[in-house]
Amino acid sequence: MLKLLQELVKTGDATTKYPFVPPPAKPGVRGKPEFAGPRCIACAACTIACPANALTMETDAKAGTRTWQLDLGRCIFCARCEEVCPTGAIVLSDNFELSVRNRDDLLMTAEFTLTNCRSCETPFAPAKEVNYVIALLIRAGMPWDEAESRRALFESCPACRRRADVERHCQTTMLPQAEPMR
Amino acid sequence: MRQLVPGAIRESDEIAKLKEKLFRDIKRSAYVFRVDCGGCNGCEIEIFASISPVFDAERFGIKLVASPRHADVLLYTGAMTRAMRLPAIRTYNATPDPKIVISYGACGCSGGIFHDLYCVWGGTEPVIPVDVYIPGCPPTPEATIYGFALALGLLDQKLKTRHHVEGRTEEVIPAHPRIPLRMRVELEREARCMAGYRYGRIIVERFMRFLESEDTTPFAARLDSYLTKEDDPRLTEIMDRLKEVAMRRGLP
Repeated sequence: MLKLLQELVKTGDATTKYPFVPPPAKPGVRGKPEFAGPRCIACAACTIACPANALTMETDAKAGTRTWQLDLGRCIFCARCEEVCPTGAIVLSDNFELSVRNRDDLLMTAEFTLTNCRSCETPFAPAKEVNYVIALLIRAGMPWDEAESRRALFESCPACRRRADVERHCQTTMLPQAEPMR
Repeated sequence: MRQLVPGAIRESDEIAKLKEKLFRDIKRSAYVFRVDCGGCNGCEIEIFASISPVFDAERFGIKLVASPRHADVLLYTGAMTRAMRLPAIRTYNATPDPKIVISYGACGCSGGIFHDLYCVWGGTEPVIPVDVYIPGCPPTPEATIYGFALALGLLDQKLKTRHHVEGRTEEVIPAHPRIPLRMRVELEREARCMAGYRYGRIIVERFMRFLESEDTTPFAARLDSYLTKEDDPRLTEIMDRLKEVAMRRGLP
């Protein structure tokens, strides 16, 4: 009996003090994905990587915007978004106090403006992404003016780019010109 | 997106009022009945972990019961599958009013990773009115305790919806300006190869911060002192490999 009591005193209280004290820090825990809007280039890599479709992106061509959305109610905290994010805009924190009464409080959204395609004028790529790509080319060793000269290429949509390629090819091979675009 | 399914239950105003009263002065233990609508059992394991002595949800009077007739709180886990829709509704009806309904886990909140399966109606919500959502896959025992405290009105909600609109002058500059891009790519690749995608990234970011630091102490000495402090042979091995890569590419 005495031995048991001794053992009990020695072991002490195993129960955690949470929620009366702040939660103990646990390195490596995957909590709420913290999103830094100013660092995001709206490249949509995270929405492709997300296995649960918690991250979605919708393009509103009329308004010329792209809306990014994170639904924490669907997130499985796998950190694939953190893996693929080229700018480190989304990082999993250790915040686990995510319970809500209202479903809409689990949503997080961000809105980005799109640049228009140079030839067909339809909103196409996020302005921030184009600027980031050019900055990355300069970082990779390309001279500033050469990188900037490619801006026209980056700011045209795949369809227009393909068309320009065909036209250039026709000119070099002296084939008849492609029909004008309707 | 959250349309209701046939047979969905709506709460009457009278019951909502009663429920508010229950929230305000329950003054006794809250009995919880657990309904698994088609989850992977991860949530159940975490629920039982949170009533274990280490987390001890029973010190707040939260107790699991074996029948919905005894329950104050209904805990729905798992995505709402076609086969479990009726049992879920029957459980709801069998519980005396007023009752609190909690959606537990990513699948309970929205269908989670199973949201677009042919046999899934979504989360708990399209079928049964939900009071509190506890997201997580699965929620940790601490998150569970926090969710229960929120449901019973002991703690306040911390999360709020957020909307970011791109500013006019917002621009993203590529990180690590002092490290050549080719070297950075190789370092990241090596770290990911050694430690997996998440920890690899954390380790390589730390390594690159060491590389870029303005400190006058030589890079190798700083790295060594950090590694001795951490005293982790795995970390030492990975950092040594990263150093080799950096040497091959020529330290900046």
